[in-house]
Amino acid sequence: MIIPVRCFTCGKLIGDKWEEFARRVKTGEDPGDVLDSLGIKKYCCRRMLLSHVEIIDEVLRFYEEAEKRREARSYYYQQ
Amino acid sequence: MEIKVLEKGDKNMRLLIKGVDTPFVNALRRNALAEVPCMAIDDVVIIENSSVLQDEIVAHRLGLIPLKTDLDGYNLPEECSCKSEFGCNLCRVTLTLDREAKEGTVTVYSGELVSENPNIVPVSDKVPITKLVKGQKLRLEAYARLGKGKNHAKWQPVSTCTYKYLPQIKIDSKNCDACGKCVEICPRKVLEKSEGKIEIRDLPACTLCQDCMDACPKEPSAIEVGWEENAFIFSLESTGVLPPERIMEEAVKILEKQLKELASQIKVRKT
Repeated sequence: MIIPVRCFTCGKLIGDKWEEFARRVKTGEDPGDVLDSLGIKKYCCRRMLLSHVEIIDEVLRFYEEAEKRREARSYYYQQ
Repeated sequence: MEIKVLEKGDKNMRLLIKGVDTPFVNALRRNALAEVPCMAIDDVVIIENSSVLQDEIVAHRLGLIPLKTDLDGYNLPEECSCKSEFGCNLCRVTLTLDREAKEGTVTVYSGELVSENPNIVPVSDKVPITKLVKGQKLRLEAYARLGKGKNHAKWQPVSTCTYKYLPQIKIDSKNCDACGKCVEICPRKVLEKSEGKIEIRDLPACTLCQDCMDACPKEPSAIEVGWEENAFIFSLESTGVLPPERIMEEAVKILEKQLKELASQIKVRKT
């Protein structure tokens, strides 16, 4: 759902590197090069970032929509 | 015993240890992994959590965040003089988190944890704990304690701690015609061709895969890969809770304590 805090296999801290990784890959950089520059050497840690899908963003969209509707409704009843 | 530092950074350390045997190096490795204490969040009291992650998940994520450890200032809970299950100022640190998304979606980071001791703080300020949508709240109190890796992996001060034999590469200069096939095949680029001779460029990098022996067209092979029996390359990677040299030092101290304990037990049995 959200990026794991540590690598499942070795326990290295990887959670703090996700946002930079995702941003740089989105701008078109090669994921392998980004991982190298972040200092992630072992393949267990590399797969943590490479294969991660941030599903929490998809889940949050439902809550964002619900919040928007609630606001719209309260605005409507105020009129 | 002879020790040489091959590499040392703020988190990594690589040592060349000569004149010891496998059980000794293995004891050090196991102590560094499972016996050296470090700080991690152990109990979490959740006051309010309306985020999409359940309380358990939030608590688990908090536990895994490595905290900078002060080994001299704190006691292990089971050895503390307070004898309390809940802990006292000498064996427990309280961290609090209070966050509400007032406008739009926000990410809650480890840097927002407020510690009662400014020295016991997360190693990185940028670990995401959860994400909150407008109106959602996360309020909690977390208690960090010292613990050992054998009880939970969150208390492991190292992410990797391994050793391997020191490789030994013999090149038969009479038999070798410097064709360079072994240089090409080596995945770690240990070998190098210079002035019509094969030379060793980076010996500790060798993984003992012996591909170079298979690649050599000569019969018998002009290159031979083996290892030294009593020399080891010991590599240690800290999660950032303690400096690597401190972890090594503690591992040695613990081994000494264990041996002393054993010796005293033997004495008791004899009398």
